Amino acid sequence: MKRVLGNKGAVTLFVVPALFLYSIIVVLPVLWSFYYSFFSGSPGLKWEFSGINNYIKLFSDKNFLNSLLVNLKYIGIVMIGQVGGGLLMALMFKFWLKKFKNVVRTIVFFPVVLPTVAVGQLFAKIYEIQPNYGLLNSLLSAIGLSSLVQPWIGQASTALGALEVMDIWTGIGFHSIILYGALLDIPDDVIEAGRIDGCNGWNLFKYILAPLLRPMIITCLVFSFSGTVKLFESALALTNGGPGNATRSLSMYMYSVAFTYNKVGYGSVIAIFIFLLCITGSRIINLFDKKESYY
Amino acid sequence: MRKKILATLLSTAMVLGVLSGCAGTTTGTTASEAPAEAKEEAAADTATDAAASTSDFSGEDPQLEKEFHILSIWAEDNDNGVLINSICKSYQEVNPNFKYEYELVSSDDLRQKVATLVASNDLPDMFVYESGKPIVDLIEAGQVADIGAMLSEIGSTDYVTPSATSLLETLSGTDTIYDLPLGLNVEGFWYNKALFEEAGIEKAPETWDEFEEDLQKLSDAGIQPLSCGAADKWGATRLINAYTVRSLGADAMKNAAEGTTSYTDEGYVKAAAKIQEWANKGYFGEGVNTVDMNTAGSMLMTGKAAIFYNGSWFASNLNDTTANAAGEDGIGFFNIPVVDPSVSAADAYSMNCGNILCLSQAKTDEATKWFVKYFVEHLGDVAMETQGSIKGYTYSAQASDMSGYTQLVLDEIGKAQSAFTWYEATMGSELSDAAQNNVQMLLSGEMTPEDYMQSIQDAADMAAN
Repeated sequence: MKRVLGNKGAVTLFVVPALFLYSIIVVLPVLWSFYYSFFSGSPGLKWEFSGINNYIKLFSDKNFLNSLLVNLKYIGIVMIGQVGGGLLMALMFKFWLKKFKNVVRTIVFFPVVLPTVAVGQLFAKIYEIQPNYGLLNSLLSAIGLSSLVQPWIGQASTALGALEVMDIWTGIGFHSIILYGALLDIPDDVIEAGRIDGCNGWNLFKYILAPLLRPMIITCLVFSFSGTVKLFESALALTNGGPGNATRSLSMYMYSVAFTYNKVGYGSVIAIFIFLLCITGSRIINLFDKKESYY
Repeated sequence: MRKKILATLLSTAMVLGVLSGCAGTTTGTTASEAPAEAKEEAAADTATDAAASTSDFSGEDPQLEKEFHILSIWAEDNDNGVLINSICKSYQEVNPNFKYEYELVSSDDLRQKVATLVASNDLPDMFVYESGKPIVDLIEAGQVADIGAMLSEIGSTDYVTPSATSLLETLSGTDTIYDLPLGLNVEGFWYNKALFEEAGIEKAPETWDEFEEDLQKLSDAGIQPLSCGAADKWGATRLINAYTVRSLGADAMKNAAEGTTSYTDEGYVKAAAKIQEWANKGYFGEGVNTVDMNTAGSMLMTGKAAIFYNGSWFASNLNDTTANAAGEDGIGFFNIPVVDPSVSAADAYSMNCGNILCLSQAKTDEATKWFVKYFVEHLGDVAMETQGSIKGYTYSAQASDMSGYTQLVLDEIGKAQSAFTWYEATMGSELSDAAQNNVQMLLSGEMTPEDYMQSIQDAADMAAN
C-alpha cells in the first residue's frame, strides 16, 4: 500500500480526475459568478460592465440587509432546535424509552422523508385561520385561549417563528438518529463507571456523554448549518417569503434579483456573499472542534 | 521529474478550467450582441421575403414548410391552451406542411424561462408573456416582432378589436402592438345578492361613499363585507389601485412611474390608508394574508363574504355549478365606484388583456405571417363558440349556450368607454415585488401607509441604480 501511495504518478492518477471534476462542478461556477458580479443587467438584456458598483450597492440595499437578518435569525434558532432537540430525542431513545423504541424512532424520523412542499401545505393547514380555523387555532380556541388565535403565517411578527417550528419538526429526526448512533457507540462500562462514581443524570451528561459526543454534535451542527443557510424551498412552500419580506431568505432574494428583476450581475454578488457566509459559518463551527485537542 | 509531471498536469487542469471560463465569457458577450444582429438579419429576411412574396397575403395559403415552436402556460386541455391548439390543428388542415411543438411552462416560471431563452438567443416562434413593463424590456432589446406592422402587411388589422389594440399600445407605451391579446377583461366587484338583501342594501353602489356605507351596513349585519386573496398579493393591490385611480385619475400610476409625481404623494398614501382602514375595521375577516384568490372566490360563492374584487374571468368559476353555491343569478357585478366623476368617469373600467402572445423577431418569416393571419382571423370565433369568451378579436359566431354570467361580462365590456390599468402595470419587477410583498404588511397593520408607499418609492430608486 505504502509503495502505491508513495508513487507520485499513482497519486496524480487518483487525484487529477477528481480535481478536474471538482473544478468544473464547484470552482468554475464560483469563478463564473465572480466574473458576472462585475456586470449589470442580464445576459442578452442590458448586459454592461459596471465595475464594483454591485458590491457598493450591496450594503446599502435594505432588502439585502433584511434578508440577511432573516437568514441569521433562522439559522440560529433552527440549528439550536434541530441539534438540541435531536440530542434530547437521542437521550430519550437511549435512557428513557424501554418499549416501542422502534415505533417512536420511526415516527420521529418520518418527517425527514416527507417532501418539503407537502410539509409546507400541511403546516399551512395547521396554521390556518380563514375560512376555517386550522389545528392550532382550533386547539387554542377549544382550551379557552381564544385571545391567542391569530393568523400565524399571515403577520410578520409570527411568520418566521412558524416557519422555524416547521423546519425544526422536519429536521429533528435526522439529527436524533445520528446522535443516537453516536450514543450507542459509547461503551456501557464508561457510563456504568460514571454511575458508580456517583454521577447524577446531569453530571453524567456534562462530564461523560457530552465530551464523547462532541465530534458528532459538531458534525450535526455543520449539517444543520449548511441546511439552514440555504433556506429556500420550505419558506417558499409555507409563506412564499411573506408577509412582506418577513421570511425572505438570502437565497430567495438572490433568485428574485437574478431571475425576476433580471439583474444577474447583482444576483451573483449575493450568491458570492452566501458562499462566503457558508465558509465563515463552517469555520466558526469547526473552531469548537479544535478546542478539544487542547485537552 | 515526477514532481514536474504532477505540476504540469495540475497546471493544465487549472488552465483548462480558466479557459473554459473564458469560453463562457465569450458566449455571454456574443449573446448580448446577438439581438442587434438578429434584428438586422430578421429585417434583411423580411426584406427578402417581401420581395419574393410580393407582399400578397390575400390569396390561398402557399403551404410553406414550418416547424413552429410555441411556449405556453396553459395545458392543452385548459383555458387558452385549448384555443391555441385548436387553431394550430385546424391550420394544419389548411397547411399540411405546418408542424408545431407545444411546450408548457408554469406561469410562475414564465419570466425566468423567457429571460434564459433571451440570453441564449433562442426565443420560441410564439410565446406567452406578460403585458406592461415585462414586454417593454423585450421590445427595447429588439427581441419581439412588430405585430402591428405585420397585421397591416397581411391585411388582418381589423380582426383585432380597436379596444384591445389601444389597451396593448398603452401597456407597452408604443404606437404599434408587439403582442397579440388573449383576453379582454374588465375588473370590478362581484357581490353576493342574497347577503346584500340580508343587510338591507337595495342596489349596487355607484359612488365611493355609497360603497363605504354598504360595507358598514354589511359589517353591522354580522356579514364579512369583503373577501380578498391577499395571499396572492395582487388581489390586495388591486383595491389600492381602485381608490388611487378613482381619486387621482387614470394616469396616476403612470405619472408616478415616470417620476412626474412621487409614490409618496398624499393621494397615493391616502389610497393605501383606505385599505388599511378597512383591514382595521375587520372588513376582510381574520388572517386576510393567508387567504388565496381561490378561497376568497369560494367565500363569495358560499355566502361567507359579500363582495370580492376580481376580473371578468371569474365568470368561469361562477359558471361551475358545483362550486357556485349562490346559483345562476346569485352573484352580481358592479364597476369600481366613483370618487369624483370629473377625475375618473363611471364608464371607465379597469381592463386588461390577460397574458399575451409574442413572436420572436429572429424567427419570424413568411410562414409565420401566414399562420398569424389564420390565427387572428379565427381566434375570435373559436373562443366564442367553444368557451363563450371574448379574447380581443372580432367574432361573428354566437355561443350556443351562453350562461347568464358570460352575458353579464359581455354587457359590462360593452359599457366600457375608457380603460385604466392595474396597480403594477407600469412598474418594473422590483417595484411590483415591493408593492405586492408589502401590501401584506399594510393589511396586517405592521406597516403604515406612508411606509408602504415609501417602500415602493425606495424600490423605484433602487431600480434606477
